[in-house]
Amino acid sequence: MKRGIFGVLLVFGMALAQGAGPSRGGELRVAVLAEPPVLDPTASTSQEIARMLYDNVLQGLVKLNEKGEIVPALAERWQGSPSSLTWTFYLRKGVRFHDGSPFTAEDVVFKFNRARDPRSGHTHPEYYQDIQRVEAKDPYTVVFHLRQPNQDFLFNLARPDSVIGPKGRVEEQKTQPIGTGPFRFVAWERGVGVRLERFLGYYEAGLPYLDRVYFRFLPDPNAQLAALRAGDIHVIGLGVSPETALVLQRDPNFKVVTGFTTTEITAGMNNGRPPFNDVRVRRAIQHAVDKKALVEGVMLGFGTPIGSHRSPGESCYVDLSGFYPYDPTRARALLQEAGYGPGNPLRFTFTLAAPYPYERRLGEAIAAQLAQIGVQARLEVVEWATWLSRVFRGADYQMTIIGHSEPNDIGIYANPNYYFRYASPRFRELYARYLRTPDPQRACETMKEMQRVLAQDAVNLWVMNAPYLAAMRKEVMGWWSNQPTPSLNVTRVYLAR
Amino acid sequence: MIPYLLRRLLLAFVTLWLAASLVFAFALLLPGDPVQAILGLEASPEARAALERALGLDKPPGVRYLDWLLGLLRLDLGESLRYGKPVAELLGERLPLSLFLVLLGLGGALLLALPLALLAVRFPLWDLALSGLMAFLQSLPTFFLGVVLLYLFAVHLPLLPASGFPGWQSPGEALRHLLLPALTLALARAAVLFRMARGSLLEVLSQDYIRTARAKGVPEAWVLLKHALRPASLPLVTVLGLEGGFLLTGAVVVEAVFALPGLGSLALTALEARDYPLLQGLVLAMAALIVLFNLLVDLLYSLLDPRVEYA
Repeated sequence: MKRGIFGVLLVFGMALAQGAGPSRGGELRVAVLAEPPVLDPTASTSQEIARMLYDNVLQGLVKLNEKGEIVPALAERWQGSPSSLTWTFYLRKGVRFHDGSPFTAEDVVFKFNRARDPRSGHTHPEYYQDIQRVEAKDPYTVVFHLRQPNQDFLFNLARPDSVIGPKGRVEEQKTQPIGTGPFRFVAWERGVGVRLERFLGYYEAGLPYLDRVYFRFLPDPNAQLAALRAGDIHVIGLGVSPETALVLQRDPNFKVVTGFTTTEITAGMNNGRPPFNDVRVRRAIQHAVDKKALVEGVMLGFGTPIGSHRSPGESCYVDLSGFYPYDPTRARALLQEAGYGPGNPLRFTFTLAAPYPYERRLGEAIAAQLAQIGVQARLEVVEWATWLSRVFRGADYQMTIIGHSEPNDIGIYANPNYYFRYASPRFRELYARYLRTPDPQRACETMKEMQRVLAQDAVNLWVMNAPYLAAMRKEVMGWWSNQPTPSLNVTRVYLAR
Repeated sequence: MIPYLLRRLLLAFVTLWLAASLVFAFALLLPGDPVQAILGLEASPEARAALERALGLDKPPGVRYLDWLLGLLRLDLGESLRYGKPVAELLGERLPLSLFLVLLGLGGALLLALPLALLAVRFPLWDLALSGLMAFLQSLPTFFLGVVLLYLFAVHLPLLPASGFPGWQSPGEALRHLLLPALTLALARAAVLFRMARGSLLEVLSQDYIRTARAKGVPEAWVLLKHALRPASLPLVTVLGLEGGFLLTGAVVVEAVFALPGLGSLALTALEARDYPLLQGLVLAMAALIVLFNLLVDLLYSLLDPRVEYA
């Protein structure tokens, strides 16, 4: 009898699932902005690679989900020793690469021996420098031995750089990536797009829903919009302008998906050079700028004001956006204290990078706000290569503005040679403590303290967390609303009928 | 004729060598480098050094230049730093599309410009309207014209695909994808050709032999087609040759608006990625095509005007 009821429930459940659940099949066409140089995130840091392939085709031991949490991928579970010096990963069994070969501990060992070798050409070997040894205990158990505890170890394993391909296969991955994800790479049509196809041997039952995915390189925003309206593509994967987003939100055929990114739009100040080597001047700038007005006026309400170098979607975030309330009187007083006034106004050059229109507009708006307290910012627009060599490498600038898109990148403030030229022994000490603390709870407290120290020192003017803006046809379901890491994740995307 | 051709050929080689060497030198002056473009901003010095060695960028510029010239003698354009493929192969993939697009675009422009110019010259009332229209077309930026056509023919009247290129496997589909970009080019370029043709026709029409023809009682249409068109088309051919050479890589905007994988977008990528071998290969190919176009134009002159001689 029990079995009978169960059977009825099962049939009922299946019928329900068919009615309301995701529908299977079809091809999804997604516009991306640019073509990457290669298709292997371990060979180039171009974010376009991760956007198309992270988790869709290529996976690591762990991965980031839509909320930015670290969840299992090729490792079912893992365990760190109390000292955090050894980490044991238990691999999922029965996983196959897209070429049919089985995924085992040997592939993991090969991968991380390559990753930690700075001469191998692997991207970001510094993420793996604390790994002393990787060992395959048995085909499904891998043990990492670390030189010293590293609080970011797991996070680094979730990055696109940490994806795992078949052992010994390096060169081919650049153009014919083979992974373990829900989609199999089919073709890279140069200058046109990348085609993926559902991988029938994927280990998560029932996934993915789509049969085919076609990422198309559409560099021009107008062309993207026209292609979306003409039905050539289903989704503009990223970089929809706020103006377009507003228009599409009102159109019944389309919807706009928006959420957080890990991009801190930062008006960087050269802490090693006048006038911004004076903390009073840097604090005056903070009080003089109304970030809410910038979000409303320049970004049409998309984006979140921040007050330190961390994004609201990242772990251990403290909201410091109100640390320096908008207060022009206070800003004027601070400037006066630093020796600036109507007779001797604060003058500096504000360097804007040509390829980033919204950062440029924000820079112009900030300059206009600063002008209201008598500060004269001379705007200067430079080409990207010039920005890189002069500002980023040479720190030959006074103020600039750029989006820092790398997730979990607060560590750049521990490097006194970084272009902010922020030399704080206290921050360096805190960062080292954060990295070497095995207990996540205590490390998190340190991470919060680090954000406060940056705000107190007013190192930079952190303007906002850049919004993630994607636009798509109404029937596209299951699209990620956040970008905790660059990923146009299509694992659970389906086309509603 | 033959010595003339030989002289032109020699000159062409010198031109090509000069163009290529200039690009090589200018690439050295540009800020930024290919390693950074591949590895990103935060790459460690070790990783940078390893990649530089792998790409052969650790050698002094002089050695690289000689290596490259020696490769050229073996018809080897080198390997693209960004794509890791032979430059010749990349050019081969992109050239047919660009060439076809330019031929279609310029052909369309000529088909539009010539009859309209004849109309304008024949009927002074039309002249004002047509000249106005052409001035309007010429002042429209290509990206705007392209987007307007895109909305008209792909979004509102969904007759043609909005963008992209399906490859040459199905020529019909390929042509359908090239029609809108070619129309954009044609409309933008027709204005230039129209003004050129109109001016040239008016000049020819003021000549004595035209007056003679009219005095003989030759019908006006015949005067235009038989006596005026041929001499008036000389400057037109020159412009066509120049435009053709320029548009092969100069159609960047049209390629971007319609997401076409042509030579223009390849050149832009090569420049952004500081892909020196690809950039040099592209300039060389461009220079070769422009030299070829110019030669063809010069040879066409003698067909159009028997007075032109090659010595």
